[in-house]
Amino acid sequence: MFGTVLVKELKAVLLTPKFPATFAVCSILIVLSVFIGIREYRTAAARYTEGVDLAAQTLRTQSTWMNLSTTAYRKPDPMQVFVPGVTGDVGRLSSVNSTEDVKLRNSAYGDDPIFALFRSIDFAFIVQVVLSLFAILFTYDAINGEREGGTLQLTFAGAVPRPTYILAKLAGAWTALVVPLLVPVLLGLLLVMVYGVPLGSEGWARCAMFMLASLLYFTFFIALGVLISALTRSPATSFLGALAAWVVLVLIVPRIAVMAAGAAHPVPSIAETEGWIDAFAKDRWDQQMKTLSTRWQARQASMEGMSTGEREAYQQSKQQEWANDDDASRQEVQKDIDAYRVRVNEEQANRVAAQEGLAFALARVSPAAAYQIASMRLGGTGVEMKALNESAMRDYRRAFTQYTAGKQKESGTQGGFRITVDSQTGFHFSAPRERGTLDVSDVPVFRPPSKRFGEDTASALVDTGIIAVLVLLSCAGAFVAFMRYDVR
Amino acid sequence: MLMLVIQKELRDILTSTKFIVSFASCSLLILLAFVMGAAGYRTEVARVDAARRENLKQMEGQTDWMMVRNNRIFLPPQPLAALVTGVADDIGRTMDVRGRGEIPQEDTRYGEEPVFAMFRFLDLEFIFQVVLSLFAIVFAFDAVSGEKERGTLRLSFANPLPRSTFMAGKLAGSFLALAVPLLLPILIGCAVFTWMGVPLSSDEWMRLALIIGAGLLYFGAFLTIGITISAVTARSSTSFLALLVIWILSVLIIPRSAILIAGRAVDVPSLDDINAKKFRYAEQLFAEDRTAMSAFSPAEKSDPRKMIEEFQKFMGNVNDARERKMDDFSSRLNEERANAQQVQSAVALGIARISPATCFTLAASALAGTSLALQDRYLAQAKGYQETFAKFILGKTGVNPGGGMVFRMRVGDGAQEKPIDTHELPVFEYRPPVLGDVLPAALPDAGILAACIFLFFGIAHAAFRRYDLR
Repeated sequence: MFGTVLVKELKAVLLTPKFPATFAVCSILIVLSVFIGIREYRTAAARYTEGVDLAAQTLRTQSTWMNLSTTAYRKPDPMQVFVPGVTGDVGRLSSVNSTEDVKLRNSAYGDDPIFALFRSIDFAFIVQVVLSLFAILFTYDAINGEREGGTLQLTFAGAVPRPTYILAKLAGAWTALVVPLLVPVLLGLLLVMVYGVPLGSEGWARCAMFMLASLLYFTFFIALGVLISALTRSPATSFLGALAAWVVLVLIVPRIAVMAAGAAHPVPSIAETEGWIDAFAKDRWDQQMKTLSTRWQARQASMEGMSTGEREAYQQSKQQEWANDDDASRQEVQKDIDAYRVRVNEEQANRVAAQEGLAFALARVSPAAAYQIASMRLGGTGVEMKALNESAMRDYRRAFTQYTAGKQKESGTQGGFRITVDSQTGFHFSAPRERGTLDVSDVPVFRPPSKRFGEDTASALVDTGIIAVLVLLSCAGAFVAFMRYDVR
Repeated sequence: MLMLVIQKELRDILTSTKFIVSFASCSLLILLAFVMGAAGYRTEVARVDAARRENLKQMEGQTDWMMVRNNRIFLPPQPLAALVTGVADDIGRTMDVRGRGEIPQEDTRYGEEPVFAMFRFLDLEFIFQVVLSLFAIVFAFDAVSGEKERGTLRLSFANPLPRSTFMAGKLAGSFLALAVPLLLPILIGCAVFTWMGVPLSSDEWMRLALIIGAGLLYFGAFLTIGITISAVTARSSTSFLALLVIWILSVLIIPRSAILIAGRAVDVPSLDDINAKKFRYAEQLFAEDRTAMSAFSPAEKSDPRKMIEEFQKFMGNVNDARERKMDDFSSRLNEERANAQQVQSAVALGIARISPATCFTLAASALAGTSLALQDRYLAQAKGYQETFAKFILGKTGVNPGGGMVFRMRVGDGAQEKPIDTHELPVFEYRPPVLGDVLPAALPDAGILAACIFLFFGIAHAAFRRYDLR
C-alpha cells in the first residue's frame, strides 16, 4: 500500500507540467550559483596572492628597522564557493607594525561598493530562498488539492490506513523533489573539481555536512507545505498561508531578530573604543614627556660647570646609557598602552559576543536563520571569522615586533633621528646610517589561522539539529492534522 | 463602462479574504520597517555622538594647537538611510583628516558588526522590493485566467464590453484597489517615524514621498506584468508559475548575477596595488627628506629658540613640497581607478536594469542619498573639511603639519600653559543631498519603470485581443 501511494505521489509531482519548468529553473540556478561562486573565490584568491606578494615586495624596499611595517592578509576559504557568508563585509587586511594595533580593513564590499548593492548569489542563497519556495509550490496542495479534485475520497474508498497515506505522501513528495535535484548539485560539485578549487579532505567533509544541512532545510519546507495543506480545506487558502509562512520564516524573522538584538544590546562603536584607547595613550605619553623633560634637566644639571671639551666627552660616554634609559621608559609606556588596549578589546569582544548570541538565539526560531548560521559556520565564513583572523594577526604582530626589535638592536642604530639644539654647539641633526635595503629574508611570515573543524562541526550540528527537530515537528504536525482531516 | 469595470474590480479585490490577509501582513511589515528604522537611527545617533565626544576628549588638556595634527570625522546616520539602507552600511564611516594628504577611511557598519551583514536590515526598500512585488503577483496572476476559470469572464463579455475597456479597467482597478490602501500604513509609518524622534527636513519629506512614489511605480510594474501574463495563459496555475519564475529572476537573480558577471568583466585597478605604490613612493620621499634634514644648517647659530623656529619653517617647506608631490602622485592613481569604476558601474548597472527591481533599488537609494554616490559625496565633503581644518591649524600655529614631523619646543620656565579650547575646532557637518542633487540620478530609473508599465500595458491589450474568453 505504501509503495502504491508512493508511486502515485511520484507521478503526481513528476508528471505535472509545472515540474519540468521548475526543475529547469532550479537546475540552472544551482549550477549558475556554483559557477559564480567559483569565479568569486578565484577573484578573491588572486587578490590574496597579489596582496601577499605586494607586502613581501614592500617589506624588501623599506630602509629602517624601527618603522618596519608590513601587511597581513586574510586568506579566502575555498568553501566560499558555496557559502561566502560575510567574507565581503569583513576587512581583508591589516597593517602590522610596532605602533598600530591590528585592525581588519578594506573589505571587498568597502573597496568596491557596487558589489554591495545586491551582494552575491551563491549556493546557500539558492537553497535558502529559491528551493524552499519551490518546495512549497509543490506541496501546498498535497492534501487539499486532492480533496478538491475528489481523488482523496476515491483513495479512501479503499482500505488505506491514514498513517500510511500521509507517510507515503511525505516520502513521495520528498523523493520526487530531492532526487532530480541531485543532478545539478552533482554537476556543481563536478565544476568545483574541474576548476581545481582546493577544498582538501577537510573541505570536502565540510561540504558534505553543508549538503546534509541543505537537504534537511529543503525537507523542512516540503513537510511544511504538506502540513499547511493538511490544515486547510482549499488550496487557495493553503497557498497564501504557505507563502506567508515562507516570507515570515525566510525573509522577516532573521532580520527582525538581528535588529532587535542590536537595539536591546547596543555595543559601543569601534570609533568610540578607539577614542578611549587614544585618550589613554595620550595621557600616558604626556606623562612620559614630563618624565623625559625632568630627566633631561637632571642630565643638563649633571654637566653644570664643565668646559666644552669635558661636556662633549661626558655626553659621548653617556650617550648609550641615556639612549637605553629613554628606550626602556618608552617601551614601558608602550606596554601600558598595549595592556589597556588588550583590556578594552576583550571587553568589546565580550559585548559583541553577547549581542551576537542574542541575535542568533532570537533568529533560530526560523529554520532559514539556523541554516544560514550552520552553513556559514561550516564554511568558516561567519561572524567568528573576523575575531579568529584578528587574534591570529595579533599573535603575528607580537612575533613581528619582537623580530624588528631584535634586528634593531643587532644593527645598533636606534632608528629615528636625533636633533640636538644647544646654545653653544648649535644645531645638530643625525639620521641613522642608511645601509641600503634591509635583509628581510628571515622575517616571520603570517600564517592564516588554522580552521577548527571539531568546533565548527559541533556548532553547525546544533543548528542542523534545530532544523531536524523542526522537520520532525512538521511531519508530526502533518500526521496529526491529517488524522482528523475530512476527506470528502 | 470603464467606471463599471473599475468598480467591479475594486469590489472583487477589496472584499476577498486574500486581500484582507495580504494587506494586513503588508501593513504590519511596513510599520515594522518604519519602527525598526527609527529605533536603529536613534541608536546610531547615540553612538556617533559618543564617538565624537571621545575624539574631542583626546585633545583636551593639550596646550599647543600644533599637537592637534588630525581630527576624526564621522558620517552621521541619515534619517532616510534608516528606510533605504543602500550602500550606507558598506562605506567607511570614520575618516582621519589631517592637514593635507589622503584621508584614510575606515569602519564600515557591516565590517564592524558582521552579524548585521549576515542577516541585514528590514528596511522599507526591502519591503517594497521583495514583499510588495510578491503581493502584486499574488493578485495579478489570476486576474484574467482566474476569471476565465471561474466563468465570470464569459459573463462579463455577454455584455457589449470592448476588450480594451475591460483590460484598462482591470489594470486601473487592480492598481487602485491594491496601491491606494497601502498609502494608509505608509502614512501611519511616517507619523510613527516622526513620533519616535527622527528629524526629517522638508526636503527629506519630499524625497521620502518620491521614494514611495517609486515604490508604487515598481508595484505597478509588477502588477502590469502579472496581468499581462495572466492574459496570455488559459489556466491560472500556469500563470502563477510563470510569474513566480519571473519574480525570482527579476528580484533575486538578475540584479546579483548581472553585477557580478559584468562588474568583474571590467578591469579596475586593485586598491591593494595602488596602496602599495603609494606606500613605496612615500618611503622614497621620506628618505629624500631625511637627507635634506641632515643637510640643514641654521643661519643663526647662537639662539636655540631662533634655531628651532628656523627649523620649523624649514620643516614646513619640506613638508609642503613632499605633500605636493605625494598629492600629485596619489590623485593620478586615484583618478585612474575612479574612471575605471565609472565604466564598471555603467556596464554592470546598465545590464542589471533589465530587472525592475534594480531600477527601483537604484532610484530609491539615489533619492535617499545612500546610492554609490554617497561615497563620492562623503569624500568630497571630507576634502572640503580638510581645507577648513588646515586653514584653522595654520591660523593657530603658523604651520600646516600635515603628515610630516612636528617639532615642538617646550619652554621650561614653569609657566602654566593654557589648554586649548577644543570647541574652537571647526566641526564637520555632513550635508545630505537635496532633491535637486538626486533627482537627475533617480529620474532615469523611474522612467524605466514607467516605460515598463506602458510597454506591458500595450502588450496586455494586444494579447487580450486574441484571448479565448470561454
